[in-house]
Amino acid sequence: MENMIIADNLRKEFKKVIKEPGLKGSLKALFKPEKQIVKAVDGISFSVRRGEILGFLGPNGAGKSTVIKMLTGILVPTAGECRINGRIPQKDRKSYVREIGVVFGQRTQLWWDLALRETYAVLKEIYEVPDDRYRERMAFLNEVLELDSFITSPVRTLSLGQRMRADIAASLLHSPKVLFLDEPTIGLDVVVKENIRNAIRTINEQEGTTVILTTHDLSDIELLCERIVMIDKGKKVFDGALSALKHDYGAIRTFLFELYHADDIERLCYHERFRLSDDELTIDDRRPHIAVKFNADRVSTEDIVAYTLSTVHVKDMEIRDVEIEEIIRRIYRREVEV
Amino acid sequence: MTAIRRFFRTYRPFTRAGMQELVAYRANFICFLIGEIMSCFIMYFVWKAVFLSSDGETFMGFTMEDMVVYLFISFLTGYLTYSDGAFAVGEEIVDGSIAMRMIKPCSFDMCFLFHELGSRIVSAAMIFVPITAGVEVYRWYITGAVQFRPLNFLFYILSLLLAYMISFYFNVCYGFLAFFFKNLWGTGLMKETIVDFLSGATIPLAFMPAGLAAVLNVLPFASLSYTPVMIYMGMYSGREIAWRMALQAVWMLLMLLLSKLIWRQAVSHLCVQGG
Repeated sequence: MENMIIADNLRKEFKKVIKEPGLKGSLKALFKPEKQIVKAVDGISFSVRRGEILGFLGPNGAGKSTVIKMLTGILVPTAGECRINGRIPQKDRKSYVREIGVVFGQRTQLWWDLALRETYAVLKEIYEVPDDRYRERMAFLNEVLELDSFITSPVRTLSLGQRMRADIAASLLHSPKVLFLDEPTIGLDVVVKENIRNAIRTINEQEGTTVILTTHDLSDIELLCERIVMIDKGKKVFDGALSALKHDYGAIRTFLFELYHADDIERLCYHERFRLSDDELTIDDRRPHIAVKFNADRVSTEDIVAYTLSTVHVKDMEIRDVEIEEIIRRIYRREVEV
Repeated sequence: MTAIRRFFRTYRPFTRAGMQELVAYRANFICFLIGEIMSCFIMYFVWKAVFLSSDGETFMGFTMEDMVVYLFISFLTGYLTYSDGAFAVGEEIVDGSIAMRMIKPCSFDMCFLFHELGSRIVSAAMIFVPITAGVEVYRWYITGAVQFRPLNFLFYILSLLLAYMISFYFNVCYGFLAFFFKNLWGTGLMKETIVDFLSGATIPLAFMPAGLAAVLNVLPFASLSYTPVMIYMGMYSGREIAWRMALQAVWMLLMLLLSKLIWRQAVSHLCVQGG
């Protein structure tokens, strides 16, 4: 399938003035500012296929939002290039933004003092949506995002969850080809999150809209995205299918054993038995439970279970699934070590 | 033709939104208006005292009747050309909310302009007729003859529109100062006092020393208020009206170009971090 979004070696540098503390520092910064160059995005390349939902993941300050802002034409890249549907966002911004929808979770694009319905009427004119298409579209968005109950309220009176739904509807009114969502579920409760995820999925499935989604919430990624790009400190650290990520970094298993006799824990010496370092195997003593976290590439699950069962009396046991949080923590840790 | 129609179709909603916001904050608007009209009457009594204490019928070439017309028409002009719609543009760039404007297929100055026109239209509808009618009735009462000149009135309206556009783009440029000052409230007060003085809104430029008046007359500030008011009062000959309005047009274009230049610079250096 053809590529909808291509980012080629994108870079963005910011100049930051370093200010020493105190009044003296302020004066110095005013007359002889010491400048430091911060590389917010440091050579990131990736592509997104038409109709795909891409998860964009990274810790705070990794440069996710900066990438989104370059893709949406808000920021000019220091170097590198991006093309969305064959167009460069910074060129002819006004006609480019007609093809995209953008939601920034932390800001709103709605008019604060207007009733929500009025906001959509304004957007209808700006995007030149014909009357019949507009009615159809509003009915669809109403159904997916349940706007009915608050569509006559002024935007300033909406709750965060309502506002986010309203914002997403606003970004979709003109049927964009690409939807950029920057932390669309930030600060929302579980029910609203679920509602928003369903809406995103419905729109992607029914209209083939390409979606880029940045988030902190890993369940967003698990439920919506097949592919993820992970960045840290402005660099790409992973690009591939979610299942591949789980496979590559997911060799970590956790077993939880419940013992009949709490003191039996003393008799379990996994480290000595399998000659593994702390990084490869960790033990969490929660008497009468014991949690064994190990790298399945280094020691087989069978051996761990066999050793445990033959050494102590086990009342119950449980296998914990690979958690994405853990994988990400490991990727980050590896990055730090490099 | 279709391009023009589409242009108005695109930005008309902003005007409607501006009107609705004014209505939403109507108490604010009405109190502001009352305050302005009160200060206008204070100026009236001050000038009355000045005229009563002077020896002749006229003061610096103005009769008391002229002064009253000047006061109220200059208030009307100042009120209608007042612009703070784009005041926030610099702050929006500093705090990054300008991003929300950049993802819409509209040009930023037109959004601000049409949004502000909404509130200007409502204001004009409320005060334009009462003030001009009041001034004309006063002139008729004092002089015993109708002083209203339709042609001057027409030129006044045109000059007023030009003055508004200068004021708008001047304030766009001024708004970018938020880059350096972070907060424009204090400098805003200072700016308004200075502009009021230089534009002749406080004291007619004719009252100032000849040298200073000559300089102020060609500066953009005179174009903001003094020029339209003088046209209304019939103080200018036909040729002078043409030259004054040409000067206004030149200042408008210069301000527009300057604002575009700053905008382009600002956007290419934009750094919206976080959020």
